[in-house]
Amino acid sequence: MKAVIASLIALLALPLIAGDIHGKVTAHSVRNSADAIVYVDKIAGKTFPPPAAHAKIDQKNMQFLPHVLAVVAGTTVDFLNSDAVLHNVFSPDACADHFNLGTWPQGQSKSFTFKKECFASLLCKVHSEMEGFVAVLPTPYFAVTAADGSYDIKDVPDGTYTVKVWHPKLKAATKSVTVKGATEASFEIAK
Amino acid sequence: MSMHRRGLGFLCLLSALLIFIKVPSASAIPAFARKYETSCQTCHTGFPKLNPFGEAFRLNGYRMPKETEEQIKIKPVSLGAEAYKKMWPRAIYPSDLPGQVPLALNVKMASVYASSLDDSGHTIVHNDFQFPQEANLFAGGTLGEHMSFLGEVTWSENPDGSSSTEIERLHLQAGSFIGPEHLFNIKIGKFAADLDDGFHEMWLSTDNGVDNLFTFNPIGLHGGTGLSDAGAISLPVNVKGIEAYGVAKHRWFYTVGVVNGLGPSASGNVDGNASKDVYARVDYKFGGMGLDGDSTGVTLPPENWRERSFRVGVLGYHGNGSGVDFPLTDDTGATVNVQDRTFNRAGIFASWYYDDLNVFGVAMSGRDRLDTFAADGSLSNAQSFRYNSWFVQSDYVILPPLQASLRYESVTPPGAAGVKSLRALNASMAYFFYANVKTMVEYRRDLSESKNYQLSTILRFAF
Repeated sequence: MKAVIASLIALLALPLIAGDIHGKVTAHSVRNSADAIVYVDKIAGKTFPPPAAHAKIDQKNMQFLPHVLAVVAGTTVDFLNSDAVLHNVFSPDACADHFNLGTWPQGQSKSFTFKKECFASLLCKVHSEMEGFVAVLPTPYFAVTAADGSYDIKDVPDGTYTVKVWHPKLKAATKSVTVKGATEASFEIAK
Repeated sequence: MSMHRRGLGFLCLLSALLIFIKVPSASAIPAFARKYETSCQTCHTGFPKLNPFGEAFRLNGYRMPKETEEQIKIKPVSLGAEAYKKMWPRAIYPSDLPGQVPLALNVKMASVYASSLDDSGHTIVHNDFQFPQEANLFAGGTLGEHMSFLGEVTWSENPDGSSSTEIERLHLQAGSFIGPEHLFNIKIGKFAADLDDGFHEMWLSTDNGVDNLFTFNPIGLHGGTGLSDAGAISLPVNVKGIEAYGVAKHRWFYTVGVVNGLGPSASGNVDGNASKDVYARVDYKFGGMGLDGDSTGVTLPPENWRERSFRVGVLGYHGNGSGVDFPLTDDTGATVNVQDRTFNRAGIFASWYYDDLNVFGVAMSGRDRLDTFAADGSLSNAQSFRYNSWFVQSDYVILPPLQASLRYESVTPPGAAGVKSLRALNASMAYFFYANVKTMVEYRRDLSESKNYQLSTILRFAF
């Protein structure tokens, strides 16, 4: 009897079973295939509340770490300064309200909430070579590629989606992907 | 001294030139090999002669055609993040500089055996170990997305043991910053004008010869004294000025330049008068790799010195030497001043590649309007004189390490000058021990006087 009930529950839950989208992004004309963001674009009729937990970017050894961060719209990002020198964070992009958080010393952090979808550049006025990116996305289904281009977006409900790839230096790519369990989708991007 | 240098005197001068004249600089710049971690032979048939890809690299501002980030093995140092472009002009436009010190050294050693006749008809023999003859310190690289630079400081040892140092080239250039890619580039500084810099082949396989296009001296009571190192008014080896150049539709090349003219002036200015000299050149290349490195629709052999192509171009230079005095002693013993009031050079260039063979040459005609002023400043004579010079050279890659070259060159001074024509033959054989170490044996012979010849053995290396 218990087995029957368990089977019925499993059967009812089937449409809700999440799969994943995984694969490789091959980035041409750059040193490696890291830092591309693969994400599921807007899903009609669905909105996704931002997480309560803040995301974090560290400024360490004069670099933004991670170099590319993906968040869902509405997420607050904390910018920590781990260096012994002053750092600043600002964005030249209108979609990020041209924010400028001023300067602050080691061990402290300042926050900014990215309300709108955006691919925001992060710059430091004190060290003009520093550069980072926050990709503010419409869904929580995203992943950042490793150096070999591999990525894995977990817990994507079965269905058909528009999947996009964004890269700081290369042209974007788009593909329609039907997710059914573990689904593979690979991309090539170039200048 | 009378400016009527005739016969033996001229030959003696020629032989002196054979030994000590400065030939145009030719680049072999291992700084680029370091940057891209690639062999010299990527760009050179055998250094410093450029292959078609090397010519595209040079014209592209010392960048690979269609260069990608991954080709640059030594990561440049950022002088501003890419996103700072969005901030301009509220922030300085982002750039970068070479990740390593972009310096390289070329060293040339020569053993020179030269025979010539003096004024009294006696044979004079020179046998010099010029170890080293010269060393060239190169700096070359890129600055950000559009700018690049090239510099060359040459240290050379004089026959008397003294040495001299010269900034042969030092220029900044900006490329493809407006309009279609490759179409408009501009350089400023001291540089080898693209008017003649594209004749790389000319001095690349023959390292130690008089180059007849650059060394004719038209100053004289009757229109010139033949070849001269210091007094040459011909095509310029290096210029100080501004030049625009570009490549259109992969195969057209053009250049125009505005440069300092004759000088210095008596008052010490670099340019001897208020006028500037101007030059222009237009080429077209049939077949082979495009001048911008494009190879669309062309099948090129893997041996990158080979191709089948024909490049042809016309060139012209206009100079104004008004106010720049060249003091001479006339036939009566009186001192006069000659000014090269206007001088024009017009020429045609052609280069034909057929696999391992490259035949090329230039024919040029020069016209000088010489004004002669008496000691009291009055104009005593004004006449125009014409001279002609041309050369044809054949280079052949026997095997990649073994390359041969044969050149015939001719200068015909104005008939009134009474100076003999020069007919010279230059044969050389180069052997590359490594891509950056070569030795050459070169024989040069004055075809009108068998006692005038020179045999040089040259060792060059670059690092």
